[in-house]
Amino acid sequence: MNRTVQKRALVTCFALAGCFTIFSCRLVELQVTKHDEYAALAAQNHVTRQTITARRGLIQDIHGESLAQNEPVRTVVADASLIGDRAEVAGLLSSVLGMPHPQVMEKLNREVFSQALKKNVPSPYIVLKKEVPENVASDLEAQLAERKLRGVYFEPSATRVYPNEQMLCHILGYVNGQNVGMDGVERTMEDFLRGHDGFRYSERDRTGKEIVPYRGQEKDARNGCNVRLTIDMGLQNIVEMELDAAIKQFHPKSATVILMQPKTGEILAMANRPNFNLNVEEGVPEDHRRDRAITDIVEPGSTFKIVTVAAALTEKIVHPGTMINCENGYFAAAKLHDHHPFPDLSVNDILVKSSNIGAAKLGIQLGDQKFYEYVRRFGFGERTGVSLPGEVGGIVHPPHLWSKISITRMPMGQEVGATPLQVATAMCAIANGGHLMMPQIIHDITDDQGHPITQFPPQEVRAVASKSATDAVRDALVEVVSPRGTAALAHVVGYKVAGKTGTAQKPEPDGHYGHDRYVVSFVGFMPADDPAFVALVLLDEAQVAHDKNYGGMVAAPIFSRIGEKAARYLGLKATEEVPVGSVVAGQNVHSDYRDQ
Amino acid sequence: MSTNRRRHANAIPIASFLTWLCIGSFACVGGLGYVWCKNQLYTTGTDIKSLERELVDLKNKNEVAESKIAQLSSTAKLQERYDTGFIKLVPITNDHITVLSNAIPPPKTGELRSVANERTHE
Repeated sequence: MNRTVQKRALVTCFALAGCFTIFSCRLVELQVTKHDEYAALAAQNHVTRQTITARRGLIQDIHGESLAQNEPVRTVVADASLIGDRAEVAGLLSSVLGMPHPQVMEKLNREVFSQALKKNVPSPYIVLKKEVPENVASDLEAQLAERKLRGVYFEPSATRVYPNEQMLCHILGYVNGQNVGMDGVERTMEDFLRGHDGFRYSERDRTGKEIVPYRGQEKDARNGCNVRLTIDMGLQNIVEMELDAAIKQFHPKSATVILMQPKTGEILAMANRPNFNLNVEEGVPEDHRRDRAITDIVEPGSTFKIVTVAAALTEKIVHPGTMINCENGYFAAAKLHDHHPFPDLSVNDILVKSSNIGAAKLGIQLGDQKFYEYVRRFGFGERTGVSLPGEVGGIVHPPHLWSKISITRMPMGQEVGATPLQVATAMCAIANGGHLMMPQIIHDITDDQGHPITQFPPQEVRAVASKSATDAVRDALVEVVSPRGTAALAHVVGYKVAGKTGTAQKPEPDGHYGHDRYVVSFVGFMPADDPAFVALVLLDEAQVAHDKNYGGMVAAPIFSRIGEKAARYLGLKATEEVPVGSVVAGQNVHSDYRDQ
Repeated sequence: MSTNRRRHANAIPIASFLTWLCIGSFACVGGLGYVWCKNQLYTTGTDIKSLERELVDLKNKNEVAESKIAQLSSTAKLQERYDTGFIKLVPITNDHITVLSNAIPPPKTGELRSVANERTHE
């Protein structure tokens, strides 16, 4: 071999070696140096993370009736890069989903900028319609398969459904578009109800079909827990019907009814007006969404006298028979009037006749500090702790902020702001012998298989009054619901009922009390000796004649009707002799129903 | 060419041939088996997918039915049906209800007394 040939061979060899070295370097770069980057890019094209949606927990009443549940729906999604004939797909989608054809076409023609290709490409993820009912989605899926059209997918989802619509709307609350609780129990129990989504990594082929053998890591979804409320839908229905009837009759600005179990603090029923339909998301005024039982502060009026009398009796300053001079209707030192002139009244009769002057004098005897202590002990001025969002604590000023006449006004329920639930809870304490119970709305929580997770036993906040004092107050409250008292219309045939009326004047913008706007209420319990429930009825600005706008004439008959039906529903044994010819309370009894 | 040498030249190496045949067959069967297994895997995958879809469909149908039942048997719906007379129940008016009170203890004289409660309204 001559020298030239040898040289050429050497050059060729070097050239080939150089080429292979370059290719090898590139191979090493692709496979080793940039392995992660390209692997990620490849995975982006083929590997998808499927979300396995967890089911939101149910909300049930005490007997297991479903109050909030899920209905499966699907979200229709399109991958425009896989759609061949867009016009045909758009035609089918618009006819089945009930969407205008141009709108579907506009969505299918959407483009996104591809970083890899450095140009606009058809969008791979277009949400066409959300919350498509299961039967419509199945129908569409079948038609797409029949016509061999691809590029349209269905993502499973669920929508929250409330079978009872308006009923219990303020307690249940509602969820937003992402199924996150926004109000009521849906919000406070969000952590339990939500559940945890699972996931699955899987590879897809060129056509977008999942390659099942190449499934990767997988984690099952954990469904949300079921929340059982203390609410009894039988009682709730009674309350709602009577409240509707009251709204029709009195046209108040707002109204609230609460039914509680006094021994445990369980809320058996609770309703407010105005209310709203939980299944209708739009067009609901914010004002209608408010749970007035825990967010509205009102002056309780004469119902607050139970606190004054219980405090005076517990402190043994007086006994039930102690006579108090009621100044014949005008207490000049405090510029205070009674509705009727009373010369002397026993402590019991201060409640029976609802004497403002008597209550004021008991307050004075207790003294600022002691009286304030009892007001706070009964739970006024602080949140009750019920598991509902937005609760307010009410307004109770400390004694150093009081005016000279505050000690004469607060004992009769003025200069105090309380929520209806606080008033009902205070009455529970009188009904159960002096124990302030925390209002309970959640009974227990179970997992989706029914195994118990958490229970909510009754919680006593504190002892607020002596047994002898609450017994004496109860006896007086029984007389309130008699022809002698201010709430004869609250009587329920066959049962001993105890209760107190309240008629609070509403303050005008200038701070003075007006004479045409009232909050009328009645809070009572039955049977008085062994109470099965405490009920509060409160109406704000009932549209009735001025001389009839009293708790004893407006709220008491509503209590009577609710009490009578609730007693029948609960199967309560009658405690009183039933006189022949007596009919349901509120129709044939006559007395003076006016309270202060 | 001698007989001895010719015999040696035309000899078929049966053992070697069989060995290679076995290796070839094994490779073929292995390859086909691999393809068959892979195919089975895909078929099973497709079956799993379709069964999963069926299961999801059934679960969804079940949940839709449950939701429908809950709505139809809800207190509000039943009350509405009762009010419209769909459920043919006769409402019991208050004048047809007798409230029974506790038994009164008999007087010590041994006097007989009625055991029936009086109607609230005749």
